[in-house]
Amino acid sequence: MQVAGAVGVPLALLWDFSWESTIGVDLIWSPPHLAMMGSVVIAALGAAAQLNWHPRSGEVPLGPVAAPLGAWITLWGAIAFLTATLFDQWWQASYGLAAGLWPPPQLLKAAGFLAVTSGAWLTGDARSRFPWGASAVLALISVMTIPLLYANRQHSAAFFLAACGTYPLVLVAVAKSGSGRWPATRAALGYTLLLGTMVWLLPLFPGVPLVGPIYHPRDHFLPPPFPLLLLLPAFGLDWLLRQRPAREAARSGSSAAGEAGLAFFLIFTVAHWVFASFLLSPAADHWFFAGGGRHWPFFLQIVPGAETSFWPESDSDFTGLRALLAIALAIGCSWLGLQLGRGLSVLKR
Amino acid sequence: MRAFLFLLLFLLLSWPAHGHIGSPNVFFDGRAGPYEVRVVIRPPNAIPGPAQIDIRVSGSTAHTIRIQPSFWDASIEAAPAPIGAVATASDPHLFTTSFWLLRRGSHAVRIQIEGSSGTGELVVPLQATLLAGTSIPPGLSAALLILVLVLIFGAILVARATAQRFAPASTGRAVLVAALCLIAGISFASVRWRTMDRNFRERLLARPIPVTATIRSSSEIHRLVVTPVDQASPGQGWDTLVTDHGKLAHLFLLRESDLAAFAHLHPVRRDAQTFESVLPALPAGNYQLYAELTHENGSNDTLTGRVNVPAPIGAASQPSWDLKNDVWCQSPRAVSTNAAEPDALDADDSWHVAPPPSIGSLQTQVSPLMGGGKMVFANAGDFVVDRETALRFAVYSASGEAVPLQSYMGMLGHAVIRRDDGSVFTHLHPAGTISMAAQQIFSGAAPAANLPAFPETSEVTFPYAFPQVGDYHLWIQVRVDGRVATGVFAVRVR
Repeated sequence: MQVAGAVGVPLALLWDFSWESTIGVDLIWSPPHLAMMGSVVIAALGAAAQLNWHPRSGEVPLGPVAAPLGAWITLWGAIAFLTATLFDQWWQASYGLAAGLWPPPQLLKAAGFLAVTSGAWLTGDARSRFPWGASAVLALISVMTIPLLYANRQHSAAFFLAACGTYPLVLVAVAKSGSGRWPATRAALGYTLLLGTMVWLLPLFPGVPLVGPIYHPRDHFLPPPFPLLLLLPAFGLDWLLRQRPAREAARSGSSAAGEAGLAFFLIFTVAHWVFASFLLSPAADHWFFAGGGRHWPFFLQIVPGAETSFWPESDSDFTGLRALLAIALAIGCSWLGLQLGRGLSVLKR
Repeated sequence: MRAFLFLLLFLLLSWPAHGHIGSPNVFFDGRAGPYEVRVVIRPPNAIPGPAQIDIRVSGSTAHTIRIQPSFWDASIEAAPAPIGAVATASDPHLFTTSFWLLRRGSHAVRIQIEGSSGTGELVVPLQATLLAGTSIPPGLSAALLILVLVLIFGAILVARATAQRFAPASTGRAVLVAALCLIAGISFASVRWRTMDRNFRERLLARPIPVTATIRSSSEIHRLVVTPVDQASPGQGWDTLVTDHGKLAHLFLLRESDLAAFAHLHPVRRDAQTFESVLPALPAGNYQLYAELTHENGSNDTLTGRVNVPAPIGAASQPSWDLKNDVWCQSPRAVSTNAAEPDALDADDSWHVAPPPSIGSLQTQVSPLMGGGKMVFANAGDFVVDRETALRFAVYSASGEAVPLQSYMGMLGHAVIRRDDGSVFTHLHPAGTISMAAQQIFSGAAPAANLPAFPETSEVTFPYAFPQVGDYHLWIQVRVDGRVATGVFAVRVR
């Protein structure tokens, strides 16, 4: 239940993204918002159901009650979500969107979502065969950086820096602590299915913008951008960290982090450098990929011709220096992922 | 999660437009084909947000009303499908609905009416601006504080319990790390809040544009020169203005100490950042200056400033005012148009010097006019804040006969309403608060070459609702017998 709720969070957020990009009118009781609240409530109930009076092995006692750490983290996330929602209602009525992106209530809401899904990752993935919790965390990272998921921006430094600074942490931790032979690959597969489901399902439903100006008329819901090819680096990380256990054990943590980070950077960068060009080409103009530069939020004003080209972004050219920075981020993230993976392994025992 | 409207990264930010001060609601009285309508639009505080629209139809019966807002920068094809307004249960002539606004800036709200007399259509301009945000209600802030404390202590307790359970030796370190993370998060959020709030208030909030007003005197005349305080600010220059009632700018001067002098002038544009006007003979003193401009995209600006006016000079007039009794209502006799050299007053300039009515006892109901006539506030009385009303005024001659009103810049009258602390200032007409120029732009109509003929009447009405409780002064200007007469009234709004 906790995992189901956690998986619902990125799905509801993607639905909300599509709603705002298709309908435009954004009321607190809109269906995607209800789905979002429902997901958090389900995850919190699932977490609360794990509270008990007699601490068992591997549980964390807090006063008289005990629960797995993941349950506590999800409950914390649910309270953070409630706080952020109350705060955000007031914020939107006072400032709207004009004051800028990522205001404090949105930051808190993001922290709440991360906690809800991470908690599910901790408890759920220790018990089930498929790491849906980790998939939900990966999907959440993509949702929170969704402007960067547009193929037009996938040759920019911002895209590679954001990816190298986030995904390796989860993938390496899963590769380190997960069960089975290919845990990170499975988590990335779950991620691809979660995002892909919304890419394939949402455009089946009719919807028109109820607010102007409408620069891209729509008659069906907007598909979110196609999921990132995390499967490839995840496969590489599983191979590095799990398929060569004898060598891995012999190496220090930092050299393992170095290898993992470099591997993530190389595989991810090469894959997306090529894949992004494909996504912008007419060949990707297909229900499966939702590419070809044809699917845009109704409110977006785009210079003609820019739909299928890479956008020049000031201060974000992918230079050698920025590539080095991305590698450093990927290695640092991998190191944190290894530490997290070790911690998760301790929790499991 | 509205952060998804990451459009702000891409959108051309519309420049902040500031029509009127402290009076964001739109009032319009007029015709849509065969229907007499009164439209009231209450824009949202923040954007995106919903605007509320009320349409009262009189004369014929309407059965369907549709609303279609469109953004100035986009064609009508980019507007959403029209939405229906619903007749209220209590009043079948009053239709209401709300529509969503996504962008700041100038909008055209198209209203289509179908009913017993056929179809009628009109356009009401609307400025979507950011209004002052509300402070957090005490109940909400208490609830948030409690929840945040729960989050802080919850995180620290869980970190401690987890460390005790799995790695007792590093309990202290775990608590320290959790506390540091929380402190970092809270500090970042509070700095961000402060930065965003400052940016919002200083750069985005709708407010008047401050101007510098100076007096340049020659031997014959005083010239008033108006320039923006911040000449480098990005925003619109004054090169994109259109004429409203035939004038590029409507400028008002109010003597500060006693409100005993009032002038309504039409300065001439010198360049994209300068307006100039000849000053009429006004008593010396510090004056509040307000000016209203309309841009070619239909947005309005209000300019505010202060100016120290010296005593009149030159041969024109050396009046000595007796500010206890006399009433001077003046306007130039010579007919001139927007002269290139502002050595003469504009034909439609007008000014008024008289002891002002004071608030305290009762609302003023009668204002004396020059030459013994009077203007009567027909429905003076208690006004209630935010209650829509029609302010009605009638003009009588010295002998007590109703005097027919003439067109004053295409209108039966002009009203200036100011809350005594200056927090509300608005310039309205019998057609309401809208800029007629903006309406012409949006409806694609050329400005009327010939001023419309009015039925002969001695009464003028202005639709309005006072936006705040408090004391207000009203200056009502009409043209009688070829000259502009100004009535001054005080009202208390509860």
